[in-house]
Amino acid sequence: MTGERKISLRVNGRQHELEVEPRLSLADALRNELGYTGTHLGCEHGMCGACTVWLDGKSVRSCLMLAALADGAEVTTIEGLAPDGDSQHPLQAAFSKHHALQCGFCTPGMIMAAADLLQQNPHPSEEEVVDWMGGNICRCTGYRAIVRAVMDVAESGAAPPASDPEPEPSSVG
Amino acid sequence: MSEQAEMSEQGKVTWIGKPVPRREDRPLTAGAGRYMADIEMPGMLYMVVLRSPQAHAKIVSIDTDAARAMPGVHAVYTAADLPEELKPFPVIWRPPVLKDDSIAALASDRVRNVGEEVAVVVADTQQIAEDARELIRVKYERLPANVDPIKALEPDSPRIRDEWDDNVAALFPFRNGDVDAAFAEAAHVVDGHFKINRHAAMPMETRGVVASWDALTETLTFWSMSQAASLLRTELAKSLDLPDNAIRVMTPNVGGAFGAKWDRYAEDLLACVATRRLGRPVKWMEDRREHFQSTVHAREQIQDWEMALDEDGRILGVRGRAVADLGSCVPSSGIGTQWVTGNTIPNQYKFENYSADIIAVLTNKARAGSYRGFGGPESNFPMERLMDKAAKELGVDPAELRFRNQIQPEDMPYPTATGMAVYDTGDYPGALRRALEMVGYEKLREEQPKLREQGIYRGLGIGCYVHCTGFGPSAMLGMINYDTSGYEGARIRIDPGGKVTVYTGMIPLGQGTETSLAQIAADSFGIDMDDVRVVWGDTSQTPYTGFGSGGSRSNLAMTAVMNAAEQLKAKMIRIAAHTLEASPDDVEFADGHLSVRGVPDSGLTMPEVARIAYLAHSLPEGEEPMLQTQQVFDPPGFGWAYGCHVGVVDVDIQTGMMDWKRYVIVDDCGPMVNPLIVRGQIEGGVAQGIGGALLEEMVYDEAGQPMTSSFMDYLMPTFHDVPDYEIDHLVSPSPHIRGGFKGMGESGVMAPAAVVANAIVDALAPFGIEVDELPITPNVLWRKLRDAGAFEDGRSAASVG
Amino acid sequence: MKPAQFALDTPQSASEALALLSDHGDSAKVIAGGQSLVPMLNFRLVTPERLIDINGLEDLAYIRENDGVLAIGAMTRQQEIEASPVIAAAAPLLAEATREIAHPSIRNRGTVGGSLLHNDPSAEYPVTLLCLGAEVEVASVRGNRTIPVSDLILPWFSTTLEPDELLLEIRVPVAGESTSQAFEELARRKGDFALAAVAVALTFGASGAIEKAAIAGTAGRCAQRLTEAERALTGEVPTDSVVGAVAAAAETEIQPVGDIHADEDYRRHLVALMTRRALAKAIGDRAGSKED
Repeated sequence: MTGERKISLRVNGRQHELEVEPRLSLADALRNELGYTGTHLGCEHGMCGACTVWLDGKSVRSCLMLAALADGAEVTTIEGLAPDGDSQHPLQAAFSKHHALQCGFCTPGMIMAAADLLQQNPHPSEEEVVDWMGGNICRCTGYRAIVRAVMDVAESGAAPPASDPEPEPSSVG
Repeated sequence: MSEQAEMSEQGKVTWIGKPVPRREDRPLTAGAGRYMADIEMPGMLYMVVLRSPQAHAKIVSIDTDAARAMPGVHAVYTAADLPEELKPFPVIWRPPVLKDDSIAALASDRVRNVGEEVAVVVADTQQIAEDARELIRVKYERLPANVDPIKALEPDSPRIRDEWDDNVAALFPFRNGDVDAAFAEAAHVVDGHFKINRHAAMPMETRGVVASWDALTETLTFWSMSQAASLLRTELAKSLDLPDNAIRVMTPNVGGAFGAKWDRYAEDLLACVATRRLGRPVKWMEDRREHFQSTVHAREQIQDWEMALDEDGRILGVRGRAVADLGSCVPSSGIGTQWVTGNTIPNQYKFENYSADIIAVLTNKARAGSYRGFGGPESNFPMERLMDKAAKELGVDPAELRFRNQIQPEDMPYPTATGMAVYDTGDYPGALRRALEMVGYEKLREEQPKLREQGIYRGLGIGCYVHCTGFGPSAMLGMINYDTSGYEGARIRIDPGGKVTVYTGMIPLGQGTETSLAQIAADSFGIDMDDVRVVWGDTSQTPYTGFGSGGSRSNLAMTAVMNAAEQLKAKMIRIAAHTLEASPDDVEFADGHLSVRGVPDSGLTMPEVARIAYLAHSLPEGEEPMLQTQQVFDPPGFGWAYGCHVGVVDVDIQTGMMDWKRYVIVDDCGPMVNPLIVRGQIEGGVAQGIGGALLEEMVYDEAGQPMTSSFMDYLMPTFHDVPDYEIDHLVSPSPHIRGGFKGMGESGVMAPAAVVANAIVDALAPFGIEVDELPITPNVLWRKLRDAGAFEDGRSAASVG
Repeated sequence: MKPAQFALDTPQSASEALALLSDHGDSAKVIAGGQSLVPMLNFRLVTPERLIDINGLEDLAYIRENDGVLAIGAMTRQQEIEASPVIAAAAPLLAEATREIAHPSIRNRGTVGGSLLHNDPSAEYPVTLLCLGAEVEVASVRGNRTIPVSDLILPWFSTTLEPDELLLEIRVPVAGESTSQAFEELARRKGDFALAAVAVALTFGASGAIEKAAIAGTAGRCAQRLTEAERALTGEVPTDSVVGAVAAAAETEIQPVGDIHADEDYRRHLVALMTRRALAKAIGDRAGSKED
């Protein structure tokens, strides 16, 4: 079917039903159909990491994911990372404290990647941070400030542990 | 106070000099930034560009019928469809030696590089526009392409512009002193053939525009990420036959620029034409492949330099030639970058005789424009390599040779050997000394031979640099035929409630403009930073700036803010004196409080004075109501920042790969407004310099086809590729700037290529190889090692692990 | 940079998928993790009429060990291979090579089957699975067949899979007690496709000599078994001079292809060097494990 197909996505805890062309990427669905514009497109070929979101609790590149293939999934974007609307995830505060962002374009992807690392490995070594983050490109900071920010959170143990990534049975498409 | 301030000894709140976290960060870390791609409007249409797949060809025919017929397509424009009033953009920097050229919106009869704009499609969605683009049929007749700038100099090489008698856009000569006499008496002469690789600014956000024409008011709102919004407005007005005041240029969050968004581009005009014709907002977002092919590249130069030295290793003169590849047309900045290269060859060194021919040539590649450093890295690399070559020739340590030649603090102000630059302040040997001390230079030198015995090839590389900042004096820009101004304005309005709003023409690109200017304004009034708002990105509100953001000009905006604040403080003092029935000379302004000297409790607060100023019931005679002013600062001279980097690397001779051990930076940008931001600018600049030195290159094949059109092939540095930066500062205030601030946005990128090359050459000293071409890839290094015989005597991969 | 239009099928069983492949195999592409296919769609380098999404075939995601054979379902995500204790024990080479694939967010989505069949000349799975003597089971409506990986992969991103066939499973002989495996690659940046890569799997005899040697390498064209190198090692105690001879053989028989990142000479040299380094690692691991 080349036509629109109905999918359901649970984004940041909110259920969305939408109709998409098969060719629509998850990134474009999040940005243009649902308004989660914090997910940025830097290359659309999976090499820069700016579009990193979580799919069922794991980081993926939303430019390399067709929206139709995410049907029924639980998606977390930068807008939904903090536990509630007003607060900040510790990484968001640490990025500011350590000046780990300048233009801010790569930042949502950086934070989503780093937060995934910390939920799996709350106390990574610096080398592990560098290895994990190596697929995310930043043109502004020269990277070390980002490492300092992630290590600060890792050492302070402020990052929340992995929450249950299992979607509720009712939301499975 | 939400942001960290400290009390000075006088008990005054001070923000300047504090590592204040940026106010920009909260929305940006939350994903609430608003970038160009995020701007959507009701009825918006989407434009895509059909680009030339040919490097050099005649356009025989264009068939757009099928594309026009596709449902959802609103328009297809080719050059033939363009209204006559669509004039090409002029070049801004036009010295008399530069031939006439301009940036056209669409190719009409000829394409000159892969990626050149041939047609546009405007449709209901991005997808439909891209689908329709596939249906446009263009017939090309291929022409031979010029890819190599040196070959393009040959008289019989294919011509890029038929109306020119060769491919040379400009030859700019630098002549000072008697260089031939210097070489005649030299005890030593060293030389080098240098290649600076074509690479690019490559911001993470590609370009884009949103244009919206209002037919009722006949006004155009143009969302742009241009670094030069005011300038763009004026040029759009000319090209579109509109008055300046009919165009409002708005700037959203910009995802990095680094010079690439300073140039004028065809899509700016095309989106405006489309919205005017169609009466609906039109959005164009560049994709990454287009960015590789159509946004300006930079840096590419082939250079030959010679340096003459006396017996003691003192430089007598430098002469040479730099051939710069401009690509297929002259960029908005003209030959500005190349001129800067010629003008900064002397770097930190004292000598008087200089001769250089700067030759800019057209080829069938993407046009080459601005990139952070703007010609500086292109001169730093050859000069700092020559210093190491000279040290080797003389058998002197490279640090020592630099000490012998550096300009001393007491020499300042120092007119350089180019005859066209005067350094203002600085302690060049002090920076080198401090960097050597931080890295532990002598100890590392002692360890080197022992490590080599263990098969560890460790090298040290020094790179000293200068950086021309506050790119401003308008009269100077006029003298060098820069067709715009260099001053920076600031408007301050204190509202009736006593809070401060600063309006700036600066375009924030990630450099923390809002935070820095808020720090300056808060200190000027002695108030909390939270009481200062900074407004930017709207030419209908913000001050005109002829140059825009770039050229490390934040210090000019800061001075303008300080001057504007002084004006308003003086006015508030007059009003307070009138109210308190004191002489203005007896009224003090401290911490946002106005009081009669010696009677601190007697005074008025800023909000109280503001209320009086707005009510205007009782003002001093002749005093205007309200509290607002605009100040323009045109600097009397450039502020020259400078510094020294020392890198330590280990080279794996089996693979040609290198590993960072240390990277030490000593920078002097005068007093720092925000050390956190300064550190970020330096680290980011160094990473870009390292990328250009080791990884990044825009490669074209012989037919002019780009081989690097994605991040798979164009390698950006990432987390593994950068060192841990160790940074210290010296402080030499600029006499030209209030507060003494020098710019610092481009310092970091100047020296890394030289540092990398010098360190690698030092590491591989036992094999005697030289590295004068960038980028330094493992393949290239391995080949040099092999050719130098490094793998004979049992050192080949097959026999040693 | 949006893909051209295509139709999308989302079969929920292998038989449904096979029926679709039977009808549309020539004009369709199967999408698994999509980490290589979607970029090509976005660039419009491929414009299939139809995508057959096999992410619904959840029973093709598994890692099992049975009777000395490690069986991996084609839809197993690379991240699961990386984390699997079964793989770590039964095919440590595969676990090691997986850690070199791109970056975590790619491995979270990318599948072992997708990567093998994409058969990028510089990718990690073709060379490691070739070294391990793996075979694959493929199916079509015409029936199932088993193909050794050595017969599956061809130069330049090609395979011998028929358009109507679907990869079901990859089978790898379980590493024995006396085997040692290692992987080495060199890339311009960590996570990039390798300029050259070498995988080795050695079986040691009681005497310390190598009873069986499997060595595979790739240098820009296609993963290939380095049989001359294997021959130079088989039956030998791996002294420095033997290892040198093995590396020299590898250097000679590899078929490199140059591109903008590395020329043929350099890639050839790197294969020799990676061979040395992989052997050193495998031999060292073996020595280490014997001491335990």
